[in-house]
Amino acid sequence: MAERTAKEERSVSKDPPSKRILISKTSTHINGLDDILDGGLPSRRATLVAGEPGTGKTVLGLEFIYRGAMKGDPGIFMGFEESAKILRENGRSLGWDLSALEKEGLLFLMEPRLDPDMVISGRFSLKPLLSVISGKAKELGAKRIVLDALDVLFGLFEDSFRARSELHQLNRWLADSGLTSILTLKPRNGFPSGFFPDFLYSLADCVIHLDMRIFNQNSTRRLRVVKYRGSSFGRNEYPFIISENGIRTVPITRFQLRHKPFGERVPSGIAGLDEMLGGGYHRSSCILVAGEPGSGKTLFASAFVTEACKRREKVLYVSFEESPKALMRNVASAGFDLEPFEKTGTLRLIASMPEATGIEEHLIRLIDEVEQWTPHHVIVDAISACERMGGKQVSFDFLMRLLNFLKERGTTTLLTNQTSGTKTQIEISGNGISSMVDSVIFLSYVFGEGKTNRVLQVLKSRGSKHSNEIRKFSIGDKGIEILDPYVG
Amino acid sequence: MDRTRRSESKVPGHYHLRLFVAGDEPNSRKAREVLKYLGERHLQGNYTLEVVDVLENYKAALEAQILFAPTLMIIDPPTKTRIIGSLSDVRRILEVLGLPEAEENP
Repeated sequence: MAERTAKEERSVSKDPPSKRILISKTSTHINGLDDILDGGLPSRRATLVAGEPGTGKTVLGLEFIYRGAMKGDPGIFMGFEESAKILRENGRSLGWDLSALEKEGLLFLMEPRLDPDMVISGRFSLKPLLSVISGKAKELGAKRIVLDALDVLFGLFEDSFRARSELHQLNRWLADSGLTSILTLKPRNGFPSGFFPDFLYSLADCVIHLDMRIFNQNSTRRLRVVKYRGSSFGRNEYPFIISENGIRTVPITRFQLRHKPFGERVPSGIAGLDEMLGGGYHRSSCILVAGEPGSGKTLFASAFVTEACKRREKVLYVSFEESPKALMRNVASAGFDLEPFEKTGTLRLIASMPEATGIEEHLIRLIDEVEQWTPHHVIVDAISACERMGGKQVSFDFLMRLLNFLKERGTTTLLTNQTSGTKTQIEISGNGISSMVDSVIFLSYVFGEGKTNRVLQVLKSRGSKHSNEIRKFSIGDKGIEILDPYVG
Repeated sequence: MDRTRRSESKVPGHYHLRLFVAGDEPNSRKAREVLKYLGERHLQGNYTLEVVDVLENYKAALEAQILFAPTLMIIDPPTKTRIIGSLSDVRRILEVLGLPEAEENP
């Protein structure tokens, strides 16, 4: 009787899937992943997720089932490595209540027993596994299934021929079942030699690689879609993190250049500077204030913050160099009292050590903050510190992505950048990000007239005429005052 | 589920075996043959063999966490070790049954 069932199932699946022109997709509901997959995983097909231990395969699989279940699609998770108890605990640490979904019949954590003291004598098949998942899938009306750590399962087969033939059966079963599946495995683990990867890759319609690298003492997780039959997909390596509520990627749509045009002028907070700029900064533009240590960059930022907060516009101030308290104390001595703005909630100060986490975490934290709090303006003080996230390239990546995101939202951004004594144009315009920067104000010192003078210069100002004078300025207890042109 | 009863009473030295099979597939058939032979020859017919077909009863397989067919469980005497496969190595099975001294003369 069972034989007949198997035959019937086979005949149903004769309809060649390749004839379908548009493949249907199943949303992963995982933040950002659907963008990379151009909509989701292939529906009713197998996706292979490959990666070394600790790269996030289990979390990805579990999140696929969890998010599906939350949207009403029942799913089965079968892990060959971790017990259901551990999976529930892992879920809890990510804020997912798997038990509740289990009780509602939306999720099933299957616990297969792979005893270490199991004795293998002769040939065997995976028919019980298939029978169990068939039965359970029917019972739940499951739409999704994850088989986690297939390498552990197939490592039990002595020869690759057996393993292949069983895997073929599993694959055929999955295709007939109508379930959207994720199979995860560690590529170098367990399989009889010569088994991986070509054969497995050929079975799956979609293949995703996960990896984790340590770079300058920061670990970076990356995801790459290697193959997707019948679909376009993002071909880059996408960084992701496992945040407190699951996988987070920075979606690709955010990296496309769709910047908002400049808005009207907003005061810089320094009357003389507004004049030099032909009326102030542009809304939605990116302003860079560069200069040597102590030249007053943070004060220029504070002047802008003060003016914006007075208009009750929200400002997010990201400090990579000082704690919020130290920052407020330091600028207060020059007459910028930021504390009341922070108390009333028009100003938000975030301080973080660049080296504390990888760039993904920095980036995602800031993006979250901007999306949730929707500030009008963002200050990043100082972008030179970003190199401490892991070098020049990392800093460039971070800034390009952050600025792109802010430009797409039309958020005005003011960056400060510390330059060293020998000022090259590149350094002044900031870490190779000059294409993103609309206005550059350069602060420095000159010796003349028997003293050291603070001077500033507007080096660039897109969308307006600007003064090319070198102007002296002073910092007193009432803020910044632009003085006469400097004549050397 | 079909049962082959050779001895009803629970007497010392009585073996209770449970074999999970997948229909009539060759591996499962072979395992049944081996068990029949082994039961007569080494257990002197003093055993109960329960055969569970996972294709008809997935719930039993789920409950016992069975992934492979055939799988032999030794219920009595209680034995943790499960034997997977067509039971081609009779000596190994005898070991698990606690009869390592038994001579194998085909």
